[in-house]
Amino acid sequence: MKRTSYQRSITAMSTRFDVFLYGSSAEYDEQHLEAVAVAVLEEVIRLDGVLSRFDPRSEIARVNREAGKAAVRVDRELFALLETCEQARQATNGFFDVTQGGGLELDENACTVRLAGSDARIDLGGIGKGYALDRGREILRRFHVTNALLQGGTSSVLAVGDEAWPIDLRHPINPDAIVGRIELANRGLSCSAARHNDRQASDVVNPLTGAPLVGDDACVVLAENATEAEIFSTALLAMGREAAELYLAKRDLTVGWIDADFS
Amino acid sequence: MTITRRTFLGTAGAALAASGVARAEDSPVRVAVIGTGGRGSDLIRALTTVDGVELIAVCDDYPPHLEQGAKYAGPQAKTFSDYRRLLDELKPQAVVIAVPLYLHYQIASDCLVAGCDVFLEKTMCFTVAEAKKLTAQVSASKRVFQVGLQRRANAIYKQAQAMVAAGMIGQVTAIKSQWHRNNSWRRPVPVPKSDANWPKLERKLNWRLYKAYSAGLMAELGSHQMDVANWFLGTHPKRVIASGGIEYFRDGREVYDNISCLYEYELMATNGKPYTVRANYTSICNNAYEGAAELIMGTKGSLYLTSAKGLLFQEKGTDVVSWEGSKDQQAADANAAIVTAGKTLKLSNDPWAHRGSPFEIDIAEGNDTRDELVSFIDHVRRQDAKTICDANVGLADCATILMANQSVESGEWVKFA
Repeated sequence: MKRTSYQRSITAMSTRFDVFLYGSSAEYDEQHLEAVAVAVLEEVIRLDGVLSRFDPRSEIARVNREAGKAAVRVDRELFALLETCEQARQATNGFFDVTQGGGLELDENACTVRLAGSDARIDLGGIGKGYALDRGREILRRFHVTNALLQGGTSSVLAVGDEAWPIDLRHPINPDAIVGRIELANRGLSCSAARHNDRQASDVVNPLTGAPLVGDDACVVLAENATEAEIFSTALLAMGREAAELYLAKRDLTVGWIDADFS
Repeated sequence: MTITRRTFLGTAGAALAASGVARAEDSPVRVAVIGTGGRGSDLIRALTTVDGVELIAVCDDYPPHLEQGAKYAGPQAKTFSDYRRLLDELKPQAVVIAVPLYLHYQIASDCLVAGCDVFLEKTMCFTVAEAKKLTAQVSASKRVFQVGLQRRANAIYKQAQAMVAAGMIGQVTAIKSQWHRNNSWRRPVPVPKSDANWPKLERKLNWRLYKAYSAGLMAELGSHQMDVANWFLGTHPKRVIASGGIEYFRDGREVYDNISCLYEYELMATNGKPYTVRANYTSICNNAYEGAAELIMGTKGSLYLTSAKGLLFQEKGTDVVSWEGSKDQQAADANAAIVTAGKTLKLSNDPWAHRGSPFEIDIAEGNDTRDELVSFIDHVRRQDAKTICDANVGLADCATILMANQSVESGEWVKFA
């Protein structure tokens, strides 16, 4: 059987998204793969337009503008995602939190959200890429693409299919150093680092204290889907390695750490 | 004519005043959506965020799309595969129609007969004859009717139109617009090519590529942008010559994968003498460098417009109002106060230095798809037929884009129908 493949990339969510698709049979030819790849990436662009806190046209921007004021009616998709965020906040003892400066009130019956506090903001930067990749996987399923790698921002990856994709992990401070290789199949992977080589201070804050993270650790999480991987890599990094080990004793997650002193 | 900031902002302010906010005492508007594919789903999601809307039903004859639409719409929305049954059973107050172009007329017409207010996606109709019939029917029925040309609801375009009307870019002498992308415009089909249903499904999902259902790039993309030309120039084109073909995506499609049009608009100068404005329009499918934008060129400046960004480039050496402030402190203070109050323009850090620093229209809050629906629902509630994009606008837009396709086929200048 001749195997066809197709690759396509775009810029979205202030970063780069790539899709690598393999045809599962000769009938799913390159024309089909291209159409599927475009559909996946158009979904990413659509979600960027909904979730971005920087785009004044986005739904999140609309919710943020009403902070401290009215409850905002949102669509069911966004409501479900914000519910996932709230569940994740509870499950991580507050170490994963998409709101800054005030709590999020969700009303399931009215499908509304309200930010308590006029300075409160929602920032979905710690979940949006993973969520977009998972939505991409749904499109792949619908159109029978069973072997694929979806990648968002070089920190979130979703491998689709039983065939393993080799993923090299780069050290966040020493980008020339490859610290290890993971064979990824049917899993989401997310890597979060406190600091990158081009930044002095961390742009990740501890949600409980509001202070930027200290240290140079990076946390890698493999999970059932990319959303969960991203939630936990963000939360565990904020917890810090020691607290994270205790927390993980009760959970079924595959977690790795990249040490600061790796050279 | 001397333009002061105050007169300009007055105009712009008026353009921004309209808003549709439901009051608590209003009963919800019962809305149904017919057509739940990609665009229909966008509209469903947007409708579910609008206060005062009760989405009572969604309809599509393709089960996977109906299922998707129902998911976005929520459990209160009933599902139908036949829109006639939906109209009979539920008698919605308003319908939102997002179906393939060749079905626009029949479905919109049936909805009007059923007494519904109608939001119909662009392009209004498949033929000018249908668009004329529908316009007459709308006017006789006195229903609220709006075509989905959402730039009419976009704050940037509304502001830009007010700027052109106020004379800020002088006399408009030319328009250049394009929608350039780099993909096959093909939707995936969820069965293998060997499946007996593949050919039928392929034509159904890729209806945009076949002449029996679609008017191609002009209808799907050009309709938005030629409407901007019609709107800003305040008239429709007199004639067009166009060239197009299938040069790259020779995959069985029937509509052009690239088209290039030259429109002529006849206008009257302030001294009473007629002059011609030429508008270039191109759409291509294999190079996205220029993206989607309209450039409105006037003797005193240019407006570069996209649905996310509006930039004003002043021509050098013209007597337009200086937006860059004055060294006179008192004047600077006065300017600052006005600019803050109006919140209209800010200096942009755009890199095109040879064009001078552009000013950016700084009012891009709100999504134009949502905003056009907010406006439609507001008009439905008030039973106000003067929608932001009524049947006459839709008819002129429809005739404008279809005459380009006709010119490609005949190879000759085609007059406005």
